[in-house]
Amino acid sequence: MLAYICKYTPIELFESIDVEMELMEPEVVQFNRAEALLHPNVCAYVKGVLEMFADLVSKRDDVEGMIITSCCDSGRRLYDALKATYPDKFIYLLDLPRKVTPEAVKLFTKNVSTMISAYSEHTGRAFYSDGMIRPLKAYLKAHPPALQSDAPADAKVNVGLIGARCSQSLIDTLHAHGAKLLFNVTCNHLARLFNPAEIGRLEDYCEQLLAQFPCMRMAGAEDRLNMLDDFEDKLDGLIYHTVKFCDQYHYEAAALKKLETFHVPVLNLETDLTRQSSGQIKTRVEAFIEEISANKSKADTQADGEAAPADTPEAVKLVPAEHHAAPYVLGIDSGSTSTNTVIIDGSGQLVAWDIVRTGAKSILSAEKAMHQVLDKAGLKREDLARIVSTGYGRDHLPFADADLTEITCHGKGAHAFDPAVRTILDIGGQDSKAIRLNAAGDVVDFVMNDKCAAGTGRFLEMMAHTLDVSLEELGQLSLKSKEDIRISSMCTVFAESEVISLIAENKEPEDIAHGVHAAIAGRAISLLRRVGIEEAVMMTGGVAKNPGMVAVLEDQLGLKLRIVDEPEIVGAYGAALSGLEQL
Amino acid sequence: MDIVHRYGEWIKNKLPDNPKAASRYIRLGLRLESFAKRHLGDKNVPLPYRDLNCLALDGMLHTLEHPESAAWTNLFTPVEILQNFDLTCLSIEMMGSFLSGFTIEDWCIDQAEAEGIAPTLCSYHKAFIGAVDAGLIPMPKCAVTTSIVCDANLQTFRYTADSRHIPTTLLDIPNEKTKDSLAYVVKQLKDWIAQLEDLNHRAFDLDKLRDTLDRENQSFEAYRHFIELTRTRYYPSTLTLQMFVLYASHLIIGSPEALDFFKRIETDAASRPVFSGKRIFWLHVLPFYEPALKHAFNLSKKYQIQATDMNLDYNLPLDLDHPLEALAEKMVDNIFVGPLDRRIDAERRLIRETGADGVISFNHWGCKQMAGAANLMKKALSDTGIPYLILDGDGIDPRNSPEGQIKTRLEAFLEML
Repeated sequence: MLAYICKYTPIELFESIDVEMELMEPEVVQFNRAEALLHPNVCAYVKGVLEMFADLVSKRDDVEGMIITSCCDSGRRLYDALKATYPDKFIYLLDLPRKVTPEAVKLFTKNVSTMISAYSEHTGRAFYSDGMIRPLKAYLKAHPPALQSDAPADAKVNVGLIGARCSQSLIDTLHAHGAKLLFNVTCNHLARLFNPAEIGRLEDYCEQLLAQFPCMRMAGAEDRLNMLDDFEDKLDGLIYHTVKFCDQYHYEAAALKKLETFHVPVLNLETDLTRQSSGQIKTRVEAFIEEISANKSKADTQADGEAAPADTPEAVKLVPAEHHAAPYVLGIDSGSTSTNTVIIDGSGQLVAWDIVRTGAKSILSAEKAMHQVLDKAGLKREDLARIVSTGYGRDHLPFADADLTEITCHGKGAHAFDPAVRTILDIGGQDSKAIRLNAAGDVVDFVMNDKCAAGTGRFLEMMAHTLDVSLEELGQLSLKSKEDIRISSMCTVFAESEVISLIAENKEPEDIAHGVHAAIAGRAISLLRRVGIEEAVMMTGGVAKNPGMVAVLEDQLGLKLRIVDEPEIVGAYGAALSGLEQL
Repeated sequence: MDIVHRYGEWIKNKLPDNPKAASRYIRLGLRLESFAKRHLGDKNVPLPYRDLNCLALDGMLHTLEHPESAAWTNLFTPVEILQNFDLTCLSIEMMGSFLSGFTIEDWCIDQAEAEGIAPTLCSYHKAFIGAVDAGLIPMPKCAVTTSIVCDANLQTFRYTADSRHIPTTLLDIPNEKTKDSLAYVVKQLKDWIAQLEDLNHRAFDLDKLRDTLDRENQSFEAYRHFIELTRTRYYPSTLTLQMFVLYASHLIIGSPEALDFFKRIETDAASRPVFSGKRIFWLHVLPFYEPALKHAFNLSKKYQIQATDMNLDYNLPLDLDHPLEALAEKMVDNIFVGPLDRRIDAERRLIRETGADGVISFNHWGCKQMAGAANLMKKALSDTGIPYLILDGDGIDPRNSPEGQIKTRLEAFLEML
């Protein structure tokens, strides 16, 4: 068996002489072995391949080696690392031109021939002397291209997938949530289309191989996005996938953002192809599908001749309604730091709310929170017509009737509290997000931070700990700052050591506190910029209660943030409102 | 806060609403800096270096003031061809360094990231993109890049220049030197020259190119001799100056000014006192702003950075009878092209030639080829028996250079020597 990584590998040529070819599609748990050879900042796919190949070699004795193309800087270093680690295997670097000119085809054909000779020498097998064209032609005739057919039976929405290589679990997640893939043009997911009638020489095959739908490293890639023109009417949403530390596709994702002629909602999704990232993928894909399904049903209603309902509810005050009546709906936001609950009545009025610290077991905190809020409302469990959960623990609450992502719920909650809000910044304990709404309160775009703690409430907690003050004191301290101190490191661990050096330099704690807040504000604003800042801007989440943070953010943004009295319950309130709509 | 930071803050405040004014301030800053270096320069810095510094500042200023005769390039672009058409170069790396010099790189980088450019991308490229999109850099006559070393080159020019209909050329450089691969590059050079002839309404002058390559050969002979001299002599330098040498060795190489610089340092070094400290051979770019490194190396009599491998990235006299073939060969033979084994052999030779007592390999943020190579190179070069330090940081953005970590690692390494 020969492993390969790139769609420009001449796999048909090897398969025609009965070599088993296996595409490397790693979904690993850790990069320990890879990071001993390569720096952690090398592309996640390449590190994954190193891990996977090591597993393959230890489990199977038919692994002959790997063909690597000179596709990218990380790919070339994958070759170097494999070559150094497996000197006896057939580890081959096939040089791949970036252009598709006659000279490039000639060069590529030469490179392919040289590779076949090297393989022949490695295995001791003699191959056809006529450039292997006869078996290749027979093979191509016997193996016409397989068309992609991956649609779930109950498809709700049509999506396209473009960008860097994706894992099978992303495709499975899309299918599981009722998305039909109209196309998937990420690496290695394209059908391999050859025209055997026009292949008379090896050079013809090499030319067709080079002239595939180009990947970003090819010279012709500037026209890739033109393909979207044919799909614009058929797509409900587009997913742009990027891989951590593979920077090439971000350029196209950024160009797509600037493309004024494309009006389909886009989800930018970044993964590191580990199994751990699948949880994050799930939240984002779910939120996206909720968003585009809502758009779709609204568009359908409008197409049926019904006008969209005038959607300008009054801003909800944070006072429990004095008079309320059944049905009652409970929204519960199970977050990493706090579990927040809200009960509303049939008219959407607030009846009661509560905030509980999330303990080691989120289910116990959720049950406690539910009992407390029922007590506050003077209601019983049986009085609740519906329970809707949100937050990262939303799937694990057996008493919930439905669940929705916190993106959709924050959008709904914020819009109900203040219909003027167009942009939301939510800084939570474990992640932070920026969400943009339209005038009707629908989510039109959102981004979330990376999975590290930079720019989250957890970062503030750690810095407060380092400065030996409480979280409340940290915010107050910051307001008294007189000197600008820049905490440059955004990595929590490095920032901690920076703060320690500042303490050693006898810098004032209030100035350090201010520096810490300014660092997070910088992160948050870059998230906001990615969705576009449109006023009014609301801040939600526990960190919105920190006056130091709010002051720095308002200063840097040059605008006044809208914050409700209990910014932590916005998501839960949104969940409850969705529950009411479902009744 | 020092004056440079204040100036940077001032430019940053102007940037969002008035990029034209910010751009004017940058040009004014370059002019002031050039004046200051010419008349108030540090007398401990050798005169040829001070003059090179002014030359680079003036060159940068020229490209910003006369964009109609400037080409955007990267460090490995065959500028010899551009000189034939009297086009000056504004390289991504140099622009990034100047933005960092003005301490406005952070603003530009944040701007690029806000557009959706990867935060994990090389900071030179992010700063360049942010500056272009903010309107700080005027549009050039054309843009040209090679595929040498860095994946980002093609992408950045596609994103900034090609998308704005600036004539953009990629020279695709293969991994291995063969007859076919050289022919592939020569054909690309010829196509590019034809484009430049159209664009500039004038014919390409092969004899002029021969003269350029002749000066280039002389320049490198002088530089190699200089390196040999500094094995025993003290020639004061700074991190910034090592980066400025890249201007001479790459962006104006082949020009009379570059030849003059290399000849002058060669002559100057011969009359310098004996150096009794430790010699460092540097791999990759140098973070010229980094406090601990500045403290250790700038004009130090104890530690001298001999050279960075980027200034010695190829090693053959160019064949004046076949100038285009010679340029093709120069690019394919660059030590950063091809499998790592080739680079390791080249580094081994350079470590020997520079007489280094220690090697510092700088892992510049976002550089994937360096991140992938560092550990493998360290292991392979352990047979030289010379201490080898890998430093993580960023060539221009202090936010990716953990100060405390760099200081501790560097000090421990210098204690080791």
